Amino acid sequence: MMSGKISRLYRGETTVDFYGRRRIGFFLSLFVAVVTVVSLASQGLNLGIDFKGGVAWEVPASKTFDVEQARNVLDANGISSKDAKVQVLTSGTDRRIRIQVGDQPTEKIDALKVAFAKDAGVNTDLVSVAAVSSTWGRSITEKALRALVVFFALVSLYIAFRFEWKMALAAIIAMVHDVLVSVGVYSLLGLEVTPATVVAFLTILGFSLYDTIVVFDKIQENDHRFKTSRVSYGDVINVSMNQVLMRSLNTSIAAILPVLSLLVLGSWVMGAVALQEFAVALLVGLLTGAYSSIYIASPLLGMFKEREAKYSGMRGHLALGPEMTRLILTGAAAGRRATAQRSEATRIDEAVEQASTDQDLETASTVLSHPPRPRKKGRR
Amino acid sequence: MRRRLLWSLIGVLVVAFGGFGANLAAGNHPSLGLDLQGGASVTLEPLGTFDPAALDVAVDIIRKRVDSIGVAEPEIIRQGDTVIVNLPGVKDQKAALELVGSSGEVLLRPVKQMGTTATTTTLPTGATTTSGPVGATTTTLPTGVTTTTSPAATSGGPGSVRRAANTTIPATTITTDTTITTPAAVDAAPPTTVSGVTDSITTTEDDRDRDVVLPGQEGEFVYLVGPTGATGKVFNNNAKAEISNGSWVVVVSLRDGAEGADQWNALATACFNGTDVCPSKQLAIVLDGKVISAPTVQEPVFSGGNVQITGSFTEKEAKQLAKYLQFGAVPVRFSAPTVQTVSASLGKDSLKAAIVSGLIGILLVLLFLLFYYRVMALVVFGGLTVSGLLLWSIISWLSKTNGLALTLSGTAGIIVSIGVTVDSYVVFFERLKDDVQSGRTLKNSAQRGFESAWRTILAADTVSLIGALVLWWLTVGSVRGFAFFLGLSTLTDIVVSYFYTRPTVLLLSRTRFLNSGRVLGVRRTPNAAIGDQ
Repeated sequence: MMSGKISRLYRGETTVDFYGRRRIGFFLSLFVAVVTVVSLASQGLNLGIDFKGGVAWEVPASKTFDVEQARNVLDANGISSKDAKVQVLTSGTDRRIRIQVGDQPTEKIDALKVAFAKDAGVNTDLVSVAAVSSTWGRSITEKALRALVVFFALVSLYIAFRFEWKMALAAIIAMVHDVLVSVGVYSLLGLEVTPATVVAFLTILGFSLYDTIVVFDKIQENDHRFKTSRVSYGDVINVSMNQVLMRSLNTSIAAILPVLSLLVLGSWVMGAVALQEFAVALLVGLLTGAYSSIYIASPLLGMFKEREAKYSGMRGHLALGPEMTRLILTGAAAGRRATAQRSEATRIDEAVEQASTDQDLETASTVLSHPPRPRKKGRR
Repeated sequence: MRRRLLWSLIGVLVVAFGGFGANLAAGNHPSLGLDLQGGASVTLEPLGTFDPAALDVAVDIIRKRVDSIGVAEPEIIRQGDTVIVNLPGVKDQKAALELVGSSGEVLLRPVKQMGTTATTTTLPTGATTTSGPVGATTTTLPTGVTTTTSPAATSGGPGSVRRAANTTIPATTITTDTTITTPAAVDAAPPTTVSGVTDSITTTEDDRDRDVVLPGQEGEFVYLVGPTGATGKVFNNNAKAEISNGSWVVVVSLRDGAEGADQWNALATACFNGTDVCPSKQLAIVLDGKVISAPTVQEPVFSGGNVQITGSFTEKEAKQLAKYLQFGAVPVRFSAPTVQTVSASLGKDSLKAAIVSGLIGILLVLLFLLFYYRVMALVVFGGLTVSGLLLWSIISWLSKTNGLALTLSGTAGIIVSIGVTVDSYVVFFERLKDDVQSGRTLKNSAQRGFESAWRTILAADTVSLIGALVLWWLTVGSVRGFAFFLGLSTLTDIVVSYFYTRPTVLLLSRTRFLNSGRVLGVRRTPNAAIGDQ
């Protein structure tokens, strides 16, 4: 038998006041955003060779000179082979090794040319050197950014059409927040940005948006449910958040487990360095995505909506503890008597989260005013 | 109802396993990208002097061309002035060359005479013409080449050019389009360079400005063409093959101004009127010393700015011609491309590590679900298997047909999509749990629960699909590859949710087993039992 908080979480009986504590999330995000901007301004991003181009040597392959050896030479000359691209070019029987790294000073380029030639046992003239452009040119970046803007616009339209424009605004702000945080982590830690990283950022952008939509769907559903009762929009959000909390956690765990496995097993234990950059981006993004849909998107939506005439009367009033349980289960706000009872109940058991499961169950059964229709006999 | 559910379940299982089996039997398997498997590397060297800015434009055009071949993620690098195109998964070097296409310049030259390669070489002084039966004419070239033209336009054979009109063209026009009027007499001065009409004719720079005999693409026809009237630069870089009136045509627009439409129209007028410059009324499209098409000009002036080339093209021929015309618009001339095989940029161990750790990750997810949802997790196992088989089949099939290649980021993207797939189940099951807890039976809540979960899943997946489509259309390279896999996994999620998850859970919810005791790890509240007696 599970006990306490975990059990309540498992049964979806939590009554956490997300909306009331929205400022914690806002301050935290603001802090991270400021750090990101400062870091971007001071040290920028560590762009990989696919973005910046660099220099490439082509060396005839020989028995003594293969991909491994080329990487060793790089390391011996103080260039991290981790960020280098080393490939074998084959044309007929002719095999050459192509070594591409980021921009280097001229002396270093010449020194390496000699080193490669010596290792391969060929004349220096047989090693060619050329400046290499980026594979990810400016035009690709421009196209990607344009596509992103179109994507934001279309998604806003869709959300405004399917839900409402305030939700669209909140969702887009949450997405921008996710990008900021992910970019910030990359800039702060000086991790190399590769095309794979960009793809990872896009993946998490999609994931975060997906998560936000699921939460908003619940909020909309509850908004309809509470139409007749006098509740504040903060209540609607709190109820929805508690209802989808388990889903958000489960989904995040299901998405993060494979990524963690890629990072820990694939990259650290099995030594596939290329996976690291990708996995870190995904991990950071998934965590921010899950966080932002709970602590950024929904509270923002609440703040937008509370200004509406429909909700302004109840503004600032939040149903907490058993009253929230009641809301979750029945969809009806408590009357005056129930409110009085609540204050009494709160006095008895101040930390609502610590209330025993049995008591909650009792509350649940007593407030369930309309039991489900009994099943008719003799019919399927 | 039950029968429909059963059929849906059987259907999706048959499709998934059938697709998997069929691909396995056909030997299709996902091909891997440049980073994981390597591919072919095609090097293009620019010729002569050129504008550095023009080289950038050329690279852009080449990228667009290469991107249009499929969904692989090609890599285009400028190394010094050389342009290197790396194509993933292409093992056959010849195939790579064909993909990147010819490097030469497209020339537009008036056709003076046309003939077949079945040659008898005597050098007569005059030309004799015999009119053949309907639509087929036998001509003797001044060089002594006996020619037979058939009304059917073959690849490298004749077709016709006319202004692309938006109005409907009577079917009869089409038929006449492909008929070639062969000139009665040849007035051109016998070309001095012709020494024998074979495939081995090579053109040099000088040949551009004088009469020369060129072979057709298939080597079946030969053409005596006049000096170059225009180059492929008169066209915009937008040639495409499309279906008009039930047959394949190639449509391209003309650049404005003296370098474009004016030059083209001058040539077209000359050909339409059948003047001495262009007695055959045919205009040869020449690439690398071969006539790739020689359509008859149907309009004196192309005022609309669009050119439509008709003929009895097959789809492949039309697309090929469109590609040639596009490439002809490249402002820089390149030497003959060279091909090399290029190895993977990431080690083999990277792929192995990705696969092993990915599988272990999936295993962890399954264990977590088993712990959390108990028996119902088996439904998720089945669902992931079905999605996995579907994805594998589609990727394998596209690898074979469209040159799709899985990169490391694509692989990792699929691993992340497991999260989204699992989410559909989580949304559904959490809904069921809520209902069961508030006193409903699983049987009662399954249908309702699915409807509400389906709404959520559809809304969230629509957003993902919008993202995938926008990124696919507007971007290039690896972002495009990402968009493809995002769209694919999202669609699979929708299909599996509706055709697999729905029937499975609905059918299971009717069994006695799942309605007794604890379901999904929760028990029904006591008062619910009253209603259920």
